[in-house]
Amino acid sequence: MCGEHGNNCFVHVDSGLPPVGLKCVVNGEEIQACVDPTMTLLNFLRNELKLFGTKEGCGEGECGACTIIMNGETVNSCIILAVEADGAEILTVEGLAKDGELSILQQEFIKMDALQCGFCTPGMLMSARALLDRNPNPSEEEIKEALAGNFCRCTGYIPIIDAVKSAAKREREELK
Amino acid sequence: MLSKFDYYKPKSIKEALDYLDNNDETRILAGGTDLMILLRRNAITCKHILDIKAIPEIQRFDYKNGEGLYIGAGVNVNQIVDSEIIEEKYPALHQAAASLASYQLRNRATLVGNICNASPGGDLPPVLLVYDAEVHIIGPEGEKMVNIKDFFLGVKKTILKDNEIVLGVLLPDVEEGDNSVYLKQSRLKGHDLATVGVAARRNNENKISLAIAAVAPIPLKLTELEDVINEKGLSNDLPDWVEGEIKKYISPISDVRSSKEYRIHISGVLAKRALQTLIEKEVN
Ligand SMILES: Cc1cc2nc3c(=O)[nH]c(=O)nc-3n(C[C@H](O)[C@H](O)[C@H](O)COP(=O)(O)OP(=O)(O)OC[C@H]3O[C@@H](n4cnc5c(N)ncnc54)[C@H](O)[C@@H]3O)c2cc1C
Ligand code: FES
Ligand code: FES
Repeated sequence: MCGEHGNNCFVHVDSGLPPVGLKCVVNGEEIQACVDPTMTLLNFLRNELKLFGTKEGCGEGECGACTIIMNGETVNSCIILAVEADGAEILTVEGLAKDGELSILQQEFIKMDALQCGFCTPGMLMSARALLDRNPNPSEEEIKEALAGNFCRCTGYIPIIDAVKSAAKREREELK
Repeated sequence: MLSKFDYYKPKSIKEALDYLDNNDETRILAGGTDLMILLRRNAITCKHILDIKAIPEIQRFDYKNGEGLYIGAGVNVNQIVDSEIIEEKYPALHQAAASLASYQLRNRATLVGNICNASPGGDLPPVLLVYDAEVHIIGPEGEKMVNIKDFFLGVKKTILKDNEIVLGVLLPDVEEGDNSVYLKQSRLKGHDLATVGVAARRNNENKISLAIAAVAPIPLKLTELEDVINEKGLSNDLPDWVEGEIKKYISPISDVRSSKEYRIHISGVLAKRALQTLIEKEVN
């Protein structure tokens, strides 16, 4: 803690450089922090905010395990600097459930057996969330295109695509 | 990551240029989809990161009748994919942009970052080459426009100096009847640079332009081949002829993505298909 910014402020500066101020909103909560300028957004979320839902697979923009929603758009948080998120609004998988109840999308992933080890799931959910936000009634092709940057190594993609389809349907019916 | 860099995000071009002038070993950061990976792999190092995303001028993204299409350095690849005017007027640009990486990566990746990175296999340079695009550069001496075919010097090398910034790219306007296509062969859709990428354009006067990625140290405009094609004129036999002829004009290497022989083969196939698409209407 840096003492200046209260409970949410961290000074883990590995690089030895002066920390940089960062203000953002994560899952609805305002965050003020001082961060190492070389820290990635992924490491900030996991190591500093202890939001362990977002995963690191490749660390190089390939696998999508680190996908989050930043200012309404999906991004690979492993190749973004934490300081780049200054002023941003961020949604991670922890922000999907409301009042202790899983979102429809999460419920459908469970119902359709769309996860096994679960490592890819937070990234899949965020890509699917952003898709349904911009297109509540996506075709199978559009679902595949939206999830093409998210690798799953164990479940297989068919149950995942099915889960997004049925979540889309339920959301259209239930969230009017 | 071995690099120890600080971070600066100027709000004006002047601040950015001053910073570049006063700070050696600065890297410009746009989407970071190339830069962050090179830094992480310690393939490059730097002392300062200059994030250009808050500079208002680089957000310019417009099409003006008679002038053409301007794409600022802050415009990301999904904005290009989503643009209806681009899909209509510059179809190859739409296709190449849509073929680049994954959805979430395209939300960050910029067209200007793609050319400044100067990978021989980048998807967007061949398209800019067939449209004879101009690169809008600013530096301490002022602004200039440089033709895209003079921009690349070698693998990961461009004419840009350390104290220059690309503001955007201008694609000249197209006339009614202009058409283009981008075809890409890659190992895995959405996750790979092109093994070979071919952009072909037929303008309203039936002149053909051809450019190709990943078969030479820089993205190539096949000017000599274009001259021969345009002398011959459009015909049913042209695509097959070009398929055999193209190997005289390219010098691919073997690497992790493909052998040299396959690159030569697939260059011919893609060029043939691209030309078939463009001259289909005429001949039938
Ligand atoms: C998983 C993955 C898949 C990919 N797939 C593809 C693909 O299919 N096709 C493809 O072509 N590319 C691909 N790429 C490469 C990359 O995404 C593109 O080259 C992208 O367009 C780079 O843009 P950027 O804004 O992220 O550049 P950055 O990483 O921010 O910058 C790239 C370089 O350009 C310099 N630069 C950036 N903007 C400017 C400017 N305005 N003035 C001067 N210099 C500048 C930077 O200093 C840096 O050296 C992929 C990358 C990853 C990680
Ligand atoms: S960890 Fe970010 S894409 Fe793989
Ligand atoms: S559930 Fe294991 S990687 Fe997708």
